[in-house]
Amino acid sequence: MDNAFRKIDIDQYDEDVLQESELYEADPRGPAEVLEESKQRQAAVRSSLAKNDIAGALTIILDNAPYGPNVDDAKVITLQTLLTILNTTKSTEITGVIKSLSMDTQDTLMKYLYKGMAMPGWGDISGSVLLGWHEKLTEVAGVGCIVRTMTDRRTV
Amino acid sequence: MAPEVHSLAQTPITSHAFSADRSQLAVSLNSNDAQIFSRQGSDWVCTETLSEHDKLITAIDWAPNTNRIVTSSQDRNAYVWQEQPDPETGKLVWKPTLVLLRINRAATDVRWSPKEDKFAVASGARAIAICSFDPENNWWVSKLLKKPIRSTVLSVDWHPNNVLLAAGSADMKARVFSAYIKEVDERPAPTVWGSKLPFNTVCGEYTSPAGGWVHTVGFSPSGDVLAFASHDSSISIVYPGGPVVHNIRMPSLPLVSLAWTSEGTIIAAGHDCRPLVFSGSEAGWQKAGTLDDVNAPKSPEARSFGSNASVGRLKTSAFATFRDADSRGQSSVGGSASPTADTKLLTIHQNTITSVRPYEYDANGVAKVSTSGVDGMLVIWDVNAVTA
Repeated sequence: MDNAFRKIDIDQYDEDVLQESELYEADPRGPAEVLEESKQRQAAVRSSLAKNDIAGALTIILDNAPYGPNVDDAKVITLQTLLTILNTTKSTEITGVIKSLSMDTQDTLMKYLYKGMAMPGWGDISGSVLLGWHEKLTEVAGVGCIVRTMTDRRTV
Repeated sequence: MAPEVHSLAQTPITSHAFSADRSQLAVSLNSNDAQIFSRQGSDWVCTETLSEHDKLITAIDWAPNTNRIVTSSQDRNAYVWQEQPDPETGKLVWKPTLVLLRINRAATDVRWSPKEDKFAVASGARAIAICSFDPENNWWVSKLLKKPIRSTVLSVDWHPNNVLLAAGSADMKARVFSAYIKEVDERPAPTVWGSKLPFNTVCGEYTSPAGGWVHTVGFSPSGDVLAFASHDSSISIVYPGGPVVHNIRMPSLPLVSLAWTSEGTIIAAGHDCRPLVFSGSEAGWQKAGTLDDVNAPKSPEARSFGSNASVGRLKTSAFATFRDADSRGQSSVGGSASPTADTKLLTIHQNTITSVRPYEYDANGVAKVSTSGVDGMLVIWDVNAVTA
């Protein structure tokens, strides 16, 4: 059945339609502030990596990660920084690092893993690295972590 | 005490409700009809079919004191069934009365109020219909709770004072409403949720940090605490005083139904196919264990039917070669000879549990709960048989 007879989008005129923004708490920080913060975190992560503190670096970059609309630049910086951490961690150390993260950090890490898997070939994304982290993270945080990644509207 | 397992059908059980003395059971087997099963010995046999709805029945509730059944369906209607003597044969049959809900989408859940003079119907019309009996016109009338619900209401639960109603909705929020009907209720005493509550007042609106549809809500036996489970694999317990919200994140799949068994314990179940027990107080809540011990030795007929008789034959080398060729690539399941071992789940329920209801009460609260699920099984559990 061909429903393409409408020439205008009638949903935009419906006042009572459920907006995406009503489904989660919006990020209280403004886009410029978030961008500043992610640049500062990038520097902090570099110093953590120099000291070989992988868990600390992950916590810095993942806690209060930028989410929602209008903060794409900050999200890109956060993703790039995170990828450098993931790529430089030895596979034997991954489980130990994951276990030392808080539940919030683990959930955010899972969100970034899925984001990375959706963009093959971008920057220095390596599918095998992401899959390795995904396997270890699911062993620690369980299937519930993956369900939360799918359900949470605060997309990173 | 081992759980009582009954396999009622090969189709999913959408909803179940026991009669007051637990000798009868009303179920909807994923169809337009509700069926009444009666206990005969250790089996459940279908004794009556309630046929009136045009579309799938989504929920059933049986009022224990007034002995009335209410069914809600995707056909936007609800029927109240009463047992009356049939004029011709004289035996008791269930007669339906249509309830005009005035909703324009499917009804998703229905619950009788504690005093059984009202019932609440959750619907996809972003509204909850509170229905009460109008003796003047001899029919059930409904009043709709609309604001501020923004999407389908998935479940409802009544507060013991017969006025407050908790509702979980697909807009990721669990809310507490006042469903005070002037003609039916007397002024309720103030509770922790508020005082002076006209119809449609929102006494509280709560959500879980990661969001997700709120599949189930429940008030504690005293009514002072609210629990809700949402699709982000978490269960939240709300104390309205602060408000203090304890959110337990789980590593397993989301929960879909819950029942309070005492002021400090909740039994909840869902897509993981096993009932989980949570316990705590205002200071904090945690998972206490599960009612379904996966590692306990199971009764022989549950797992290895058939393989005992044929063990002698299977030992010959030719059979062994073919059997091994079949199982190459699969991880060995502890030396079990049964090739069906990897398709059957280790839990009692073989598919999602969709409904947890209190079954038996004792001095401390609820002693047994009944669960039904998509696998067509009804299981009655002892609440105290918790394994960590």
